[in-house]
Amino acid sequence: MSKEVLVVDGLNMHYETLDGLVQAVKDVSFTLKQGESFGLVGESGCGKTSVAMSLLQLQPDNAKISSGSIKLDGIELVGMTEKELRTVRWDGISIVFQGAMNAWNPVAKIGEQIREAIREHRPDNSKDENTEKITELFNIVGLDSSVMDRYPHELSGGMKQRAMIALALSCDPKVVIADEPTTALDVVIQDQILKELKKVQELLGLSLIYISHDIAVIAEMTNNMAVMYAGSIVELGPTKDVFSKPKHAYTRLLLESTPSVVGEKKKLRSLDGEPPSLIDEKKGCSFSPRCPAPSKECKNQELEMKLIEVVKGHYADQCCVECG
Amino acid sequence: MAEYIIRRTLQMIVVFFIFLVSSYLLFNAIPGNAFSNLLLNPDLPPDAYEKVLATYGLDKPIMERVQLYVVNFFKGDFGYSYKYYPKTPIELIAERLPRTLMLFAIVNIVAFYTGFLVGKVLAWRRGSKSETWITVTSVFSYTVFYPWFALMMLWFFGYKMGWFPIGKFLYPEKWYTAPWDSDVIFVLMIKFTAIISIIQFIAYIMTRGIESLSQRRNLRFASLLTIAVGSYFFWNTGDALTKKPYAADIAYHMILPVIVVTIVAFAGTALLTRTTMVEVIKEDYILTARAKGLSQKRIRDRHAARTALLPVVTSFIFTIVTIIDGSVLTETIFSWPGMGQLLLQSVLEEDIPVAMATFSFVGVFALIAHLVADISYSYLDPRIRIKSQG
Ligand SMILES: Nc1ncnc2c1ncn2[C@@H]1O[C@H](COP(=O)(O)OP(=O)(O)O)[C@@H](O)[C@H]1O
Ligand SMILES: [Mg+2]
Repeated sequence: MSKEVLVVDGLNMHYETLDGLVQAVKDVSFTLKQGESFGLVGESGCGKTSVAMSLLQLQPDNAKISSGSIKLDGIELVGMTEKELRTVRWDGISIVFQGAMNAWNPVAKIGEQIREAIREHRPDNSKDENTEKITELFNIVGLDSSVMDRYPHELSGGMKQRAMIALALSCDPKVVIADEPTTALDVVIQDQILKELKKVQELLGLSLIYISHDIAVIAEMTNNMAVMYAGSIVELGPTKDVFSKPKHAYTRLLLESTPSVVGEKKKLRSLDGEPPSLIDEKKGCSFSPRCPAPSKECKNQELEMKLIEVVKGHYADQCCVECG
Repeated sequence: MAEYIIRRTLQMIVVFFIFLVSSYLLFNAIPGNAFSNLLLNPDLPPDAYEKVLATYGLDKPIMERVQLYVVNFFKGDFGYSYKYYPKTPIELIAERLPRTLMLFAIVNIVAFYTGFLVGKVLAWRRGSKSETWITVTSVFSYTVFYPWFALMMLWFFGYKMGWFPIGKFLYPEKWYTAPWDSDVIFVLMIKFTAIISIIQFIAYIMTRGIESLSQRRNLRFASLLTIAVGSYFFWNTGDALTKKPYAADIAYHMILPVIVVTIVAFAGTALLTRTTMVEVIKEDYILTARAKGLSQKRIRDRHAARTALLPVVTSFIFTIVTIIDGSVLTETIFSWPGMGQLLLQSVLEEDIPVAMATFSFVGVFALIAHLVADISYSYLDPRIRIKSQG
């Protein structure tokens, strides 16, 4: 049984906006084990990036973590001072961003930007040690060491993202978050980057949180996964169990709406309706308005959303276990 | 790059030629000439006026005069001042330029630094109370009617409080026995300032490659300390020691103009920096920098402010271009006998050789500043590449 590196428990986060409070993360709990690849899937706007930002405590100024705990190696991150957080960032948790195209400062060389991160967390390293480290990382992600002396605009999208992965690995972090790292790339490059990331994860035994709106990618990339809907985790379990025996109606719909590359051809279903607004707080199952076959349990406004263990290690929201 | 500079230089020569010819024609278009007042003097013989005109070649047709002027200009002959004969325009400029340079170089450097610093702090503290207040103050000093403001400051600090001298760049009574001209002192002061800036710049460049941040900082501090100790010895030994009281007198006279012009000049830079940086802060790479665990100061200075620098430097270089013509107002208010006053007087008196020489100087200065601006862009922003072809 490997060690638990990251334990998130009952995390709630909201944005203060002019229209009211946007509850972007509702009672999210999950655990990431050492060397494990954990997937977080859900449609756009369901709060995946908000979870990632909360883990790094990098949420924008109008965001607030109202309750919950995030423990990295047993150390609580929620409520840390900015100074303490700075030592956790990149050294403890690093991230590959969604909008990787602009994630590099346009006026500094790639090598210098990686060096800067290492310098911050390993101030005693010599220049040669850092160069060696970066060369080694570039090797792993399939970049030539000459990329160090290039500026971001001289690289293609794929190369920038590879360099970004190298940057994320530069301080040997305990946890790496990849937030839709391929969304901005074209399809062929997407595939290359995914393969690269998977290879790196296995090679280095990374503890990886992989975030995507594409459930097919999650199948390829992860051992365990969580399905998010409107700010809550509605299903959580080993990836192969979730795929073979989905418990939540939303997961089933997600799977049916994704073409599978292997296996027999089947008719795709589309998901009707709009995701609910995160502003008004409602009790009961958030998915019930879009559920194709809601049971009468679903309509029960008194029922709280809560994960229950359906099969050993496989959790689903109690409101929706039986329906669909 | 070399090819680019050569091509630009050729272009500049053409532009300068056009500039020269059209300025001459424009001066000529002013009614009358420098000697018209001779006609009003009843004691002079009637042909005196014609004789004077002939002496200066002003009786020739305009086209011939332009041609002569341009040819002589490129030969390095700028003629004689009509008013200060037998002084040449170059002698007049050589006397005035150090005074203007000293004053405005300091003003511009101080204004740029404080403006940039204030601007980035404003952008960084967006939405706070202090931001609002400093922004309001900056907008005030940016829009205030400058002559009024300068006069008020002069009245208050110079007259009411008596802290600073009112006008002039020295106390003449101190200089009666001085073994030097004030120019000597000015040149010495400029040299001194230039040398310490160059030393500090070299120290900065040389420490850039050092990996350890604390070592880098310590070395830079050490270089500053060396400069401080070096300057102390410089001003307290030998030749400079005897010049010190005079230099101090000039420096004392400079304080008020420097402060006043800086207050007016810094605000433009501050507001521009603030606006650009507020945009930059929203960029993804600022988030990356935060995620890397860098300190707020480093993110602000190395990431946000560094990319916001480009438009600020552009506007700064254009401000430098206007130093000399812009100095007319300041030098008049503070009775500072520099290039600005020379320019104004020579135009009013239609002292064409002097006016042309000062204008040409401003023109060359502007052209070079633009070239420097273009070249410095490619260093500040690697995305801007100067193509050597096409
Ligand atoms: N800075 C913000 N201010 C207000 N609302 C925000 C902010 N960022 C995100 N949101 C809202 O929070 C919800 C979750 O967003 P996000 O975490 O980016 O979702 P995802 O990454 O799954 O697409 C969305 O409804 C979005 O509109
Ligand atoms: Mg997102």
